[in-house]
Amino acid sequence: MHYFWVPFLPMLGIIIPLLTNKFNRSTCALATALLPALALGLILFDLPAVLDGQAFTQSIEWIPLLGLNLSFRLDGLSVLFSLLILGIGLLVILYARYYLSEKDHMGRFYCYLIMFMTAMLGIVMSNNMLQLWFYWELTSISSFLLISFWSHSSDARKGARMALTITGAGGLALLAGIVLLGEVVGSYQLNVVLNSAELVQQHPYYLAILSLFLLGAFTKSAQFPFHFWLPHAMAAPTPVSAYLHSATMVKAGIFLLARFYPVLAGTEVWFVVVSLTGLFTLLLGAYTALFKHDLKGLLAYSTISHLGLIVLLLGLNTELAAIAAVFHIINHAIFKASLFMAAGIIDHESGSRDMRKLNGLWKYMPITATLAMVASASMAGVPLLNGFLSKEMFFTETLDQSILGSLSWLIPVLATIGGAFAVAYSLRFIHDVFFNGEPKGLTKTPHEPPRYMRVPVEILVALCLVVGIFPAYTVGPLLDSASLAVLNHPLPEFSLAIWHGFNIPLLMSGLAIAGGLAIYLNRKPLFRFEGLFPAIDAKIKFEGAIQACVRWAQKVNQTLESGSLQRYAFWLCFFALALIAPPLLDLDTTRGSQAEYPLNGAVAIAAVLLVAGSLATVIWSHYRLIALLMLSLVGLVVSITFAYFSAPDLALTQLSVEIVTVILLLLALYFFPQHTPTSKSRPSHFVRDLAVASLIGCIIGSICFALMTSPLDSISEFFIANAKTGGGGTNVVNVILVDFRGFDTFGEITVLGIAALGIYKLIARMRLSMRTKDHDGRLWATDKYPVLLSVISQSLLPLFLLISAYIFMRGHNLPGGGFIAGLITSIALIQQYLAHGVDWMTKRVSVSYHYFIAIGLVTAAITGLGSWAFGQPFLTSWFDYFSLPWIGKFELTSALVFDLGVYLTVIGATLLILANLGKLTTKERLTVGVR
Amino acid sequence: MELVYSVCVGFMSACGIFLMLRGHTFTLVIGLTLLSYSVNLFLFASGGLTIGSPAVLNGSENYADPLPQALVLTAIVIGFAMTAFAVILAMRGRADLGNDHVDGDDPVDPLAREDKA
Amino acid sequence: MLSYATLFASGLICIALALNAWRLIVGPTTPDRIIAVDTMYINSIALIILLGLYQGTTSYYESALLIALLGFVSTAAFCKYLLRGDIIE
Repeated sequence: MHYFWVPFLPMLGIIIPLLTNKFNRSTCALATALLPALALGLILFDLPAVLDGQAFTQSIEWIPLLGLNLSFRLDGLSVLFSLLILGIGLLVILYARYYLSEKDHMGRFYCYLIMFMTAMLGIVMSNNMLQLWFYWELTSISSFLLISFWSHSSDARKGARMALTITGAGGLALLAGIVLLGEVVGSYQLNVVLNSAELVQQHPYYLAILSLFLLGAFTKSAQFPFHFWLPHAMAAPTPVSAYLHSATMVKAGIFLLARFYPVLAGTEVWFVVVSLTGLFTLLLGAYTALFKHDLKGLLAYSTISHLGLIVLLLGLNTELAAIAAVFHIINHAIFKASLFMAAGIIDHESGSRDMRKLNGLWKYMPITATLAMVASASMAGVPLLNGFLSKEMFFTETLDQSILGSLSWLIPVLATIGGAFAVAYSLRFIHDVFFNGEPKGLTKTPHEPPRYMRVPVEILVALCLVVGIFPAYTVGPLLDSASLAVLNHPLPEFSLAIWHGFNIPLLMSGLAIAGGLAIYLNRKPLFRFEGLFPAIDAKIKFEGAIQACVRWAQKVNQTLESGSLQRYAFWLCFFALALIAPPLLDLDTTRGSQAEYPLNGAVAIAAVLLVAGSLATVIWSHYRLIALLMLSLVGLVVSITFAYFSAPDLALTQLSVEIVTVILLLLALYFFPQHTPTSKSRPSHFVRDLAVASLIGCIIGSICFALMTSPLDSISEFFIANAKTGGGGTNVVNVILVDFRGFDTFGEITVLGIAALGIYKLIARMRLSMRTKDHDGRLWATDKYPVLLSVISQSLLPLFLLISAYIFMRGHNLPGGGFIAGLITSIALIQQYLAHGVDWMTKRVSVSYHYFIAIGLVTAAITGLGSWAFGQPFLTSWFDYFSLPWIGKFELTSALVFDLGVYLTVIGATLLILANLGKLTTKERLTVGVR
Repeated sequence: MELVYSVCVGFMSACGIFLMLRGHTFTLVIGLTLLSYSVNLFLFASGGLTIGSPAVLNGSENYADPLPQALVLTAIVIGFAMTAFAVILAMRGRADLGNDHVDGDDPVDPLAREDKA
Repeated sequence: MLSYATLFASGLICIALALNAWRLIVGPTTPDRIIAVDTMYINSIALIILLGLYQGTTSYYESALLIALLGFVSTAAFCKYLLRGDIIE
């Protein structure tokens, strides 16, 4: 099917206005209109099949496990809405071409507009509820951008923020509802969901689902009590109001109600809540509209009122009411869009939207006036126009109600009163603006707009007439198929005709028109009465509420985020404890079935040493140097432990890292107080920390024990079996590092390099005082470089390097490898710094340690990339055996080169840290901007 | 033996965490180092303890689990980089703030305050 | 015979290590403690070599080699710290 492309074409089109903005304005508008027009063509292509009552779905699986599919659907309802969105969208593009001034960034405007169009198409064509929700939120965001298009105006910014907050919050409620509904039905696909009404309505979650959906719909469609955002959104440019706030976005909520009508509607709750909300909104909007002096304000409240009417129709428990709702969606979109456009023309050509200033425009712009009058008449429900037809159907349906029990007669009465107010404000729109004397205090003389600016209005007004006079031939089939989609079963009989004979609805229409006339004629006392009420500015209330929220959030934040790292650390540990402990309570015993080794004396002594060392570190932690000594004892025992439990590689690494850490901490300690001041923390904190630490220790110990004694099904068998054949090495640990998990290792040395660079930047420009005495007040020894140390260190250097080369070379087959060899070389060089000082080393090692990191990483990366040259995946290793005279058989492997990269990076990182830290006290220290 | 091993790991972790919760940066770094030692031992133990058969292929039947070893090996090196970063941050904090308390501000000594009152 | 000898020897080394640890914890001066740690390094060389002998494998010798080589570096660093405070100048 072609329709699958419909939502995508405008999506591609988002960028076009930005690209064509540099050409002239008409080109930009034309280019923008191109893809939506194409999409409209595609819809028309599929139209006949849909009008026959068919519904199509098409999907692409994305994350099927989560029920996420890219899935589109074309049925009567989505065709109807797509036609409105694309058709009115195209007219708005044409209109905006003339409406926007030279100063406005046209490309940006069109870009937002097309983005909005994409989002709306997505909503109406989605066959997946989560996808629908995604587009739903996209409309909120793009409408925010459109309303705030004139971002220099404070009203526009505030209005946009209000619209985003209200519709965004409603969107979240909708998401919750969708997830609930999806879980209840077991699918997020609409074609499944729409056919499970019985399941959903009898489910205990039905009320929750319904209220969340209604929240979403009512916020979007500006129903009471969420209606207040819509008038403030009128700060948007008028094409936006015409498009978003009459024809499309505010109809999204209605669409939602219509779309989910088959599954959610039909219950008592639905009828009561939806119809009463709609009725109240209808009356409130119609009444308020009459008193607005701003043209767009009047139209905004009239929109609220008409949206209320549609919602009321959807809430009336007859099928014909739902059909009338669909019909009114079409009619309202047509006449309201044209009215907004007319209001925009008046504003544009006369410089004002205030009806107290705008008077007697008939003689300045007769054509526009005629068009606006026809559209207003349609809004008022005058016969021969489309508004009359749906209003007549509406009146018919209100007569036959029983939801309010014996008070149900109120509904037709209130509907007639609402109709009368609609007539009154329509009259006001016509009479105040086009007649009623001469204009007052306008800044410019009103005149007709450019020819093509009027074309969209002309088209829409012509539609009002055509639909109003020949309903059955024009919208009949479309209405049938859309209603079929809403009701989800065959339609009842109904007739679209202008004349149904003398009946009660006709009488109601007559009463409404007469009543409206009466209201308008007596408007002056009414205005005076209305003036007695204090004006409520929703904007101020809303901003106040938002600020109260912000203040409250700040208060909470300040309580939680006190700025004390010590406290955060405690809570972190506490919650870690609280999360890890409960699952352990469910475990019957920590001891698993695995056989254990018997304890022997050496291990017992090592354990005692480990415990004593840790305890001593804590106890002596106030004497920092001694704590360091204790720490090095722990490090030593840990490395012996590794060696004892068959991990020679780990023993070697741990040993070298331990040395490097000690040197690092000694270098740092020089700048710190030698003793931690005691009695700084409160005794209660001490006990609290002790308790948490001990509990975590117990838990870690228990997990460790459970882990070791439980039977293990390890994937390591694979590594052991393939190390020699696949990686060409017998030291499985090293083969894992440089081959099987080489990509991880590559990532890790990158992290190492980044950490070293970060430290390097932190060291730069560090200002710390140097001490001249030790902690006991003795002056430092004068001998900077003791001769014995210098001589021994220098003579050991070749030995160090030899051993590191040896460890490096054999690493693939026996314990060793790049990490360990790199650490040994670093220690060898650090030892020279220690014994000879920075000056001596700087003379001999002129290359910067950054290069080691860079070359190391590049080497590792190139080795990895090299395998691409042989058509293999990244980091596939290669090895082969060769023999040379005198040397004998030897192995060459690409993993060795990778390991060389590791080796260089480790040297670079370690020395970059330690040497620069050491240089801090010398004239070689880092300064900003100088390496 | 497993029991003794786990007791040691648990005890070291407890010591490390306790030191990490202290208020001075240098103590915190020492605690962090101690904790990373114990975490390395913990991770290493996840492959089970094996005595006398390193994961170096020599034709025998039984090998220590090489995977945790490989992971711990890199963890040790990264652990060093992390310790170094913490130390330098602590130094930078002392240089810029003039004290070595983790909150950047020495809290008033509660005992001293009582004395004053 | 060799295994008994190594067992006996490692028992003695373990006792030595425990005594070193005692000195390390008791002190009383910092140089005492530094020497204690250094001696522990030396004793652990012996322990590791004995372990290798007992298990009949050579894979631990590098650890011993490395302790012999590197243990001295941290001792030197500690001593330099006591003397000058600043170990790299």
